[in-house]
Amino acid sequence: MLAAFLPLLTFFISLFVPVKPAGKGAAAIFNIGLSLILSGALFLKVWNQQSFHFRIEWVTIGDFTLYTGILLNNLSVLMMLLVSGIALLVHVYSTKYMQGDPYLHRYWAYLGLFCFAMLGLVIADNLLLMYMAWELVGFSSYLLIGFWFTRHTAVLANKKAFIVNRIGDLGFLIGIMITLTQFHTLDLTELFGSNGLVANAVVKGGMWQSQAGMMPAGWLTAAGIAFFLGAVAKSAQFPLHTWLPDAMEGPTSVSSLIHAATMVAAGVFLLARIYPLFGDDVLLIIAITGAFTAFMAATIALVQNDIKRILAFSTISQLGFMMLAMGTGAQAAGLFHLVTHAFFKCLLFLAAGAVIHEMAHVKDKQGIAFDPQDIRLMGGLRKRMPVTFATMVIASLALTGLPLMSGYLSKDSILINAFEWAEGHSGLAKLIPYSALLTSWLTAFYISRLIFKVFFGELRLEQELLVHVHIHEAPSAMKYVLVVLAVFCFFPAFSLNPFLFEDAWILKGFPVTDSMTRVNLFHTIIPLAVNLIAMLLIFIAWLWYGKQQRKPDFSASGLFRFAEGQWYIDQFYTNVLVSGFVSVSRLVYRFDRVVVDGLVNIFARAAKALSVMAAWTDRNIVDRIVNGAAYLTGQGGRFFGHFQTGRLQHYFVTMLLVVLAFFIYKYYSGTI
Amino acid sequence: MIPLSHFMIISAALFCIGLYAVLSKRSAIMILIGIEFMLNAAILNFVAFSRYDKFAAGGQTFALFAIVLAAAAVAVALAIILNVYGYYKTIDPTQIDQLRD
Amino acid sequence: MAEQVVFYIFSALVLLSAFMVVVLKNQVRAIFLFFVTLFSMAGLFVFTLADFVAITQVVVYVGGVLVLMIFTFLLSNRDILNNPDATRVSAAGIHHLPGMVVAGLFFAVLIAVVLQSNPEQIEWIKNADKSTLKPTDNTIHYLGINLMTRYLVPFEVVSLLLMLALIGAAHLARKERKI
Repeated sequence: MLAAFLPLLTFFISLFVPVKPAGKGAAAIFNIGLSLILSGALFLKVWNQQSFHFRIEWVTIGDFTLYTGILLNNLSVLMMLLVSGIALLVHVYSTKYMQGDPYLHRYWAYLGLFCFAMLGLVIADNLLLMYMAWELVGFSSYLLIGFWFTRHTAVLANKKAFIVNRIGDLGFLIGIMITLTQFHTLDLTELFGSNGLVANAVVKGGMWQSQAGMMPAGWLTAAGIAFFLGAVAKSAQFPLHTWLPDAMEGPTSVSSLIHAATMVAAGVFLLARIYPLFGDDVLLIIAITGAFTAFMAATIALVQNDIKRILAFSTISQLGFMMLAMGTGAQAAGLFHLVTHAFFKCLLFLAAGAVIHEMAHVKDKQGIAFDPQDIRLMGGLRKRMPVTFATMVIASLALTGLPLMSGYLSKDSILINAFEWAEGHSGLAKLIPYSALLTSWLTAFYISRLIFKVFFGELRLEQELLVHVHIHEAPSAMKYVLVVLAVFCFFPAFSLNPFLFEDAWILKGFPVTDSMTRVNLFHTIIPLAVNLIAMLLIFIAWLWYGKQQRKPDFSASGLFRFAEGQWYIDQFYTNVLVSGFVSVSRLVYRFDRVVVDGLVNIFARAAKALSVMAAWTDRNIVDRIVNGAAYLTGQGGRFFGHFQTGRLQHYFVTMLLVVLAFFIYKYYSGTI
Repeated sequence: MIPLSHFMIISAALFCIGLYAVLSKRSAIMILIGIEFMLNAAILNFVAFSRYDKFAAGGQTFALFAIVLAAAAVAVALAIILNVYGYYKTIDPTQIDQLRD
Repeated sequence: MAEQVVFYIFSALVLLSAFMVVVLKNQVRAIFLFFVTLFSMAGLFVFTLADFVAITQVVVYVGGVLVLMIFTFLLSNRDILNNPDATRVSAAGIHHLPGMVVAGLFFAVLIAVVLQSNPEQIEWIKNADKSTLKPTDNTIHYLGINLMTRYLVPFEVVSLLLMLALIGAAHLARKERKI
């Protein structure tokens, strides 16, 4: 409880206490550090032991009472530890990275708000509270993406992120409503506990029955899909992933904390919390979405040139993996990957941030205009920034999933689970594990391309601009954060046995939801296949990008452009949806012009003909009728125009008349 | 003992007089007075019913709150009226009609 | 008997003065009649045995609100000092009709509701023998206890709100336009 509220304190301190930014940073770090310690204590107390549930009455509406409180079980304490730990590191990192920014106090405030929202999200004990924290997370993310609000692109990006997230929030809300109607409670333990309402609800004879109510079985699927929609938007899955790459407009430390390690994981967390609600068909949808997103984002990451965008698409891809794990019933594996991914992706972002930081320094010092995030201008940084280089390589290896790394354990657990799951399914489901396998190879290639381009060879910036620039190691606050994160990329942090993911302690903390037969074949072949081919791909990447050898030129091929255009999904949205709306409205306009006006014209013509005819008999009468009609129309228009007087008293009269009419109606219908 | 319904009728009458003032007066101050009438009508009902609730005294307490808050509202409203006067050089609400189409 | 007579005199005073406030053309007189209405309202409060509320009404409204209103009136109608008849507006006119109609209809509805409601028969009032106020009771005693116990939170919130309103009023009314 206290752990969650400390960052809120940070928010208020940074907002209202007028001290120097440095002091605020120290206060923020102190608060989040205390959060971390408290989370750690809670973790030791709750992990694999008694879960803790505390609640108080919140509001009573009729005979329905809403409780609010906190629920601490394995899942939430793990997430708390993760969030506060990574947040602490990012806070420390930010002291240097954001140094000198004129709006630093705002930065600390937003960061505190975000940490509060995220911690609140993971400890909330009912869906409504969770939804509120969920919105708050989205909102603070919006604030942080648009932190540099003077940049036009940042404003566009945060607007986009907000709007896309709203679509998902709507899904979440619909899911909450269906759940409330069916079970008359929003409490997570009552709903999803081991003997909870959802577990006891059955689908019988086309009806979804529970102790509290009954509704057609379709609603079960609808609720699952609605919740999943929420998760899709928050975790940037296809088709709502487009906001994440744009979100990279925010400060890199923010991208690292929010858009790589924690907030995007909220979707996966949501799925894990409400896991029992999902039926088989929804799970299949989740798995397919995850696999497709993973594959798509990996292909896009292959060809991007912006260092943060590559990492963003890599994040989307890895989130796809987690979704895939959720969909294939490997809930624990998905969460495991969430945790390991949080560390190495955070590290990747922070290291990239260090590189960008240095490049931006060069830009400022030399006064030359170039994009400090373009990897085509980097190169040869290995010797100049050895610590950054080493940590980034470690993180990349973890991302690739090579042995001895944390990523190896979690990724293989997902892949193996996917293969085992596919054994029991047919049709499209068979494709899922293979696409995941392919994706993990693509991962190896794009991340090694990134590493080789940035750190090997010569500094292309110098070659192209013919200047000598001085690039040195990141400041020590940033450096140590990188090193600490790098430690967590190795296997011992998660499992003592570097080759067998089943020994990981995180996996043991969650119930095994399925009872698929262990197929030993997969356990040997898959890691082997993944690693051998990954090594091969890394070697190829080294040849192409590291040694600068002649490489086949793909840039003209259609596939390359397709991937570079990010599968044209954004363009699809702009061209089809937005212009669709525009053309529909244009259609309506044309309908108005042609049909309505045409009708009016026809009437007018008829009236004219009539008047000509009448003029032939009696000019006067007809003229008067026509004039009278015109007069009536004019008076009518003026009459209705009078309602728009702009005078408050008239509006008030109208309002009271409506109230009166309501009274009188109720009176005569006998309800009063 | 005056019957409760007499209080209620008086307060209803006062309320409607206030309503009339709000609806048709041509001066913001008179409208404010109308609002005060309506508030006083409500307070009268509060205290009238509070007679049967000696120990909790909810009606009287909230009547006090309402009086105090009405005073605060009047202070703010009069400040706004002064500002409006400074801007439009009138406090006739019928002439402040920039909301019209 | 005498109690009844005085009560009806007071209520007649309230309604009559309120009515005059609304129909008078001269706004200065209307504001002073408003003062009479408030005083008689305080008298009515005494009849409900709410003497403290009555005193508060006199102190707050007459001491605070009315003075403020007169100040504002004079500040916003400077020409009235030169020509007191300038603010006269026609009392009867077509623009008063909607107000009259709505107010009249509301009155009809309210009277219908009051006559129907029969408040003496409400359960908690019927059973309120012990907790009915007697003329000899000390209401301030109960009010004080309640304000400091049961209604402490509303009390604090109201005081905060009051302060906000006063700061806001001061801010709005200050002279310079700089923000």
